[in-house]
Parts: sequence; structure tokens; C-alpha cells
Amino acid sequence: MSKELSDVFKLSRDWLSVQEVVDSVSSPSCGAISVFIGTTREDEADGRKVVGLEYEAYEPMAQSEFNKLCADIRARWQSVTHICVHHRLGWVKVGETSVVMAISSPHRHDGQQAIQHCISQLKANVPIWKKVIPRSQSDQRDRHIMSMIIDY
Amino acid sequence: MTAQVCVLYFAKSVELAGVKEEKTVAVPTPISSHDLWKLLLQRHPRLCELQDGVVLAVRQEYVPIGDQVLTLGDGDEVAVVPPLSGG
Repeated sequence: MSKELSDVFKLSRDWLSVQEVVDSVSSPSCGAISVFIGTTREDEADGRKVVGLEYEAYEPMAQSEFNKLCADIRARWQSVTHICVHHRLGWVKVGETSVVMAISSPHRHDGQQAIQHCISQLKANVPIWKKVIPRSQSDQRDRHIMSMIIDY
Repeated sequence: MTAQVCVLYFAKSVELAGVKEEKTVAVPTPISSHDLWKLLLQRHPRLCELQDGVVLAVRQEYVPIGDQVLTLGDGDEVAVVPPLSGG
């Protein structure tokens, strides 16, 4: 009986479902599902609070680079069964999930190693970019004007 | 020889070039990746801000800016790839 190994890569403008990613790698032959979730962190850019990130991708090349990454993972950890990565595109506000990845394997060791490699290689090789969106200056200016009016 | 290639711009390079896509750009072929980059700089001088860290992608394969000689054909896709920041 041949085991069909699947590699799934999805770019989505909608919020990501961790359950969907996990379900797509689960298999009766796998005792372990290793998961990584990347979320949008609150940070500062030029002294202004970050309100979110804007993601874009070179989509067809992101798919082909992902395929190469999966081949690399499978060459290093032969027991890896299914791989699934969902990544956001467009506007992602602070606190939301930007990427979910899951890898299934019969035992946990290979999956845990593979998932670490998967995120570091995705960041190094898959053509996706994020743009930091700070709180807008007009936002801050309006707040300042309002507070002056109230004081007066 | 000349090839009519399609040039795609991403991330910061969109801002610097003022454009996301140029459907037909005439490019001599064969051409080194360094000369191809110079050609793009002539079209959009502000791209020089990306000098450190930019790579090109030709037919969806990464090409560092240097001596590598590229053979381009009509309709080939060339992309300007600023430093990646996915994940």
C-alpha cells in the first residue's frame, strides 16, 4: 500500500485556522504533529507603535520555493509524512496569526526538527515580504487637536 | 540579440521604481546579472537604495547580482527581490 505524502502551501487574505492546518497533516500512521504559529507582535517603528503588518508575495515563486523546501525537509528527515503551511497576505493586525505550519511524523523527533528547519528556511528563501505599519501620524495629530480643544 | 522580458517589482522596490510590473522591457541577451541590474538602475535610479541585499529572480530562480551570465528569451520573467521578510 503506497503512502501518499502531501505538501500543501496556501497564501490567504483571510484569517488562518490552526485546526485546518493540523487536520490537513493528520494521519493514522503519525503519532506526532509538530506545529509552529507565527503571530504579529506589538513593536515600535520610528518611535511609533506598530499597529500591524502588510504582507505581499511573489506568489508563483513562493510556491516553487516551498516545493524545494519540502524536498529538502524530506531528504533530511525521511519519516516526515505531511507538511502544510498557510501564510497570510495583506493586512494583519497586531495579535493576529501571520503563519501556521504543521508537520506530521510517526514519532516526534523528526517532526520537531523539521518544523524548526521549515520556519527558518521559509524566512530565508520563500519570496514573501512584510511591511511594518505604524500608527499613522494623522491619527496622532487628530488626538492632539482634540485634547487642545477639550483643554480650551 | 534582444529579449523582451517582463520585470516585476516587490516590496520596497515598488516604492523606489514607482511601478509593480513592466510588461515589455528590452534587454540584451546574453547578459550578466550585474549588467541586468545596471539596466534596471538606469530605468529607475532610486533602486540604488537597495544596492546591499537585493537579488534578482529570473524565471523564478534566484540570481545574485554578479558575473553570472543569463540567457533571456521573450516573455521571461525577471523580478527585483529585496531582502525577504516572510514568516
